[in-house]
Amino acid sequence: MGENKKLWYLDGAMGTMLQSAGLETGRAPEGLNQANPALITEIHRAYLDAGAQILYTNTFGANREKLAHEGLTVTETVAAGVACAKRAVESFCADHPNAACPRVALDIGPIGQLLEPYGTLAFEEAYDIFREVIEAGQEADLIVFETMTDLYEVKAAVLAAKENSTKPVFVTMTFEPNHRTFTGCSVDAMCAVLEGLGVDALGVNCSLGPEELYPIVKRMSELTTLPLIVKANAGLPDPETGAYSITPDRFAADMAKFVPLGACYLGGCCGTRPDFITKLIERTEGQTAPEREIARRTVVCTPTETVVVDGVRVVGERINPTGKKRFQQALREGDLDYVLAQAVEQAEAGAHILDVNVGLPDVDEPEMMVRVIKAIQSVTDLPLQIDSSNSDALAAGLRVVNGKPIVNSVNGEPEVLARVLPLVKKYGAAVIGLAMDQNGIPATAEERFAIAERILQAALSYGIPKEDVFIDCLTLTISAEQDKALETLRAMEMVRDRLGLHCTLGVSNISFGLPNRTLITTSFLTLAMASGLDLPIVNPNTAAIMDTIRAFNVLYNRDRNAEAYIAACMQETPQAAVQPVENDSKQTSLAHAVEKGLKDEARRLTVQLLAQGKPELEIVNELLIPALDVVGGRFERGEIFLPQLINSAGAAQEAFEIIRTEMAKKGSATVSKGTVIVATVKGDIHDIGKNIVKTIVENYGYRVIDLGRDVPVETVVQAAIREDVHLIGLSALMTTTLASMEETIRALRKSGHPCKIWVGGAVLTPEYAQKMGADFYARDARESVDICKEVLG
Amino acid sequence: MDLKLSGFNRKEVLQYLRWTGSEIPPEVDAMIDGCIAETLRVVQPRYTYRIFPIERQTETPHIAFAGQDIRAMLTACERVVFLAATLGNGLELAIRRAEVRDLSRAIVLDCCGSAAIEAVCDLAEQEIKTGIGADVHLTDRFSPGYGDLSIELQHEFIQTVDAPRKIGLTVTSTHILTPRKSVTALIGIADTPQTKRFRGCAYCSMFETCAFRKAGKTCGRE
Repeated sequence: MGENKKLWYLDGAMGTMLQSAGLETGRAPEGLNQANPALITEIHRAYLDAGAQILYTNTFGANREKLAHEGLTVTETVAAGVACAKRAVESFCADHPNAACPRVALDIGPIGQLLEPYGTLAFEEAYDIFREVIEAGQEADLIVFETMTDLYEVKAAVLAAKENSTKPVFVTMTFEPNHRTFTGCSVDAMCAVLEGLGVDALGVNCSLGPEELYPIVKRMSELTTLPLIVKANAGLPDPETGAYSITPDRFAADMAKFVPLGACYLGGCCGTRPDFITKLIERTEGQTAPEREIARRTVVCTPTETVVVDGVRVVGERINPTGKKRFQQALREGDLDYVLAQAVEQAEAGAHILDVNVGLPDVDEPEMMVRVIKAIQSVTDLPLQIDSSNSDALAAGLRVVNGKPIVNSVNGEPEVLARVLPLVKKYGAAVIGLAMDQNGIPATAEERFAIAERILQAALSYGIPKEDVFIDCLTLTISAEQDKALETLRAMEMVRDRLGLHCTLGVSNISFGLPNRTLITTSFLTLAMASGLDLPIVNPNTAAIMDTIRAFNVLYNRDRNAEAYIAACMQETPQAAVQPVENDSKQTSLAHAVEKGLKDEARRLTVQLLAQGKPELEIVNELLIPALDVVGGRFERGEIFLPQLINSAGAAQEAFEIIRTEMAKKGSATVSKGTVIVATVKGDIHDIGKNIVKTIVENYGYRVIDLGRDVPVETVVQAAIREDVHLIGLSALMTTTLASMEETIRALRKSGHPCKIWVGGAVLTPEYAQKMGADFYARDARESVDICKEVLG
Repeated sequence: MDLKLSGFNRKEVLQYLRWTGSEIPPEVDAMIDGCIAETLRVVQPRYTYRIFPIERQTETPHIAFAGQDIRAMLTACERVVFLAATLGNGLELAIRRAEVRDLSRAIVLDCCGSAAIEAVCDLAEQEIKTGIGADVHLTDRFSPGYGDLSIELQHEFIQTVDAPRKIGLTVTSTHILTPRKSVTALIGIADTPQTKRFRGCAYCSMFETCAFRKAGKTCGRE
């Protein structure tokens, strides 16, 4: 046990004081730093007189996004805010020469816009917005981010602070009665991520009163040894009047309960005034916050999903181009949908963590890693394992990943450890150490153990905690080296028993070259789990693998009452199928399967046709497209409605996917009739219409480069030139984003790149499209296909 | 405030899906039911509001007077409710996930979201009315972006009700509410029954995206 910590008193609310001073609602209070600095300094001074030792500057919303509405600059507003607090401190110190000098905290609140993928603010832009505030507030003694609800935004904030300042960094987040923030961030995830990022103190502020915050702070006290901060509201506000519910005495009594939990920074948020701080100090003065000992757990997480490694956790291995022609083609073409399908499929199959590897010789790996990680984060909330031997790709991935990831991997080579471990430490990740080094994979368990030990020591020397180090004792193919499987198992037992570390392992290699591979693989998996394998890196879509893990969890008494096992067995009985099944499948033609939206049938029949030697192009032109025309006609006539149209498109897509995979395997040219780009313009996040167009246009045999939504003007221009594409489709759903569309069209014309542009979106009309300089207006996906036919043939 | 949403209008979902009365195959019917259930499972409905007196114009946010339409709606009203409501991010993730493997399902979920947020507003309105207690009458809901009430007021609107802090609702620089399935609306409070005066497409929350309108038809609520 270390020493107890002295208490520090923070101030109370600024907003409450300004309201009682009659500030007009709706204006940014930060403007007063320059408009009425005396008032701000006076409020600060009142808190110092009440006993506060750390002042929060009046800069909560002083970022460029919010100040833009007020016509104020960040540099001046922030500097003036810090100056107000400093002036209060100076006058206080002058009046109390023997008192310890109070500190000034640069106060930074949320930017006020949602980050990607839910909003349009890019992670990198959020970072830059915070950087600007931090640079403007260099005169402060420390930096505090408060009222945060999005852990991704907090990550941008903390990185901006750490990379542009040497001041201590405090973070408090705002939780709702369900103990989550508005964006779903849990207390567990907050602690795991912020401890990893190296903040100096963390805690809670706002939203709730001290009584309601108690269980949240208690949870924090069990998860982290960092000093805790509590800045509670004066109870709960009356929804009608906005008045807060508790008295200064009650506030102080409730706040005092946080001290035994380890909270050493105490203050008030909304509804609190100097008298609340006075009472708080009266109540707690002289007390100290105990140093805590906690049970350290191995945790990886996203804000909403925390995976505690206290048993077997499945790492999905499918996002990896190695040896997969179709995956390689998708990466080269920037076809992220294919990659995302792998992510969602594994998540649905029960993976707990997803390994992400995008390494290909001719792909810019750092850039691709960022794109793929951001895309995966938009469709699943599983924690990620960033897999690369390229440390630039690791760094790029670690930066934009949301949550606490795993780095895959380092090995015992000193150069690799020195290059990668600082990144692991900086971004607060967990790390896999391969039990090998520059001399290759050692033959014996003892030698692999020695390397594992070395890796652990190196990690510890960088300040990476032991629980964040995993060891991969390496699988060798049993058909080539039959004596090595036992060494792997023995090495894992040693790592588990002597080092107390979790083991990870890719298992499928074990059976390479043998018949009935599944039997060997699952048998080895069982042995490995018994020897300490907690993080098997496997294909979760393989039922036998998941069955083996579930059975193991029953036998090892981890799946109590076999609940998960039984639930999984029950699920295997097919549910009421949404997918219609044709009774007489022999009679079903591919055209019929498409018309009825039968995905499985479409797949099966395409495989069959290809096996019969039907050329790919004939399948597309003679079967798929005529079927789609029939469906399109029915839709036009109102005989079917949107879900049916899209189901048919989905079935055709399945057929196309078979054809593409087949052609990628053969290395032959694609069936593409030409390439188009589609994008939802900058500022717009409504992309379902664009996605419908994309699907249908693809159905007709065109290759579609989908740039996504909220696409910057220059991205469209660059992609058009780089990919040499001469037909570009733009969508915008809002009147307010038509300006972006017009700007994109202008930029394309100005670039001199020869191209035709078609536009669509609910608020557009043919006349407006023409006025904007578009070549075509498409009312819907079908008209988009007509345009493709006209331009590309 | 958090709300528990137990259901929403299935017909509205069908309308958004451009259903014009054709036979719905059982598997599509089942999918729609599945999407409605999933929507109800993943949404986190929240709303917040403030009530301003109208006669004391200095304290009434000017949004309540920003245009002919809103002035007309509030003519007989003494107070005005600023309502902001959201479904949260959960549905957004579900839609995106569905998009990857089953676009049809994503579209249905999206339409469910549109119907669900309207239902949330209805519930919020009920709660507000109950809270006021007295025998009052409410006008229609009128949102920035309808009629001549500029969508650019969205930012000021959410600041007025402190929506980012109270319910996690923000607005992009292009005036789009995020999370996407959210609504801001003004509601007048009067002593006398209010004609639901703003009928027709231009005053419908689907105005921007309505398929009927684009096809030169109406949804029939005229």
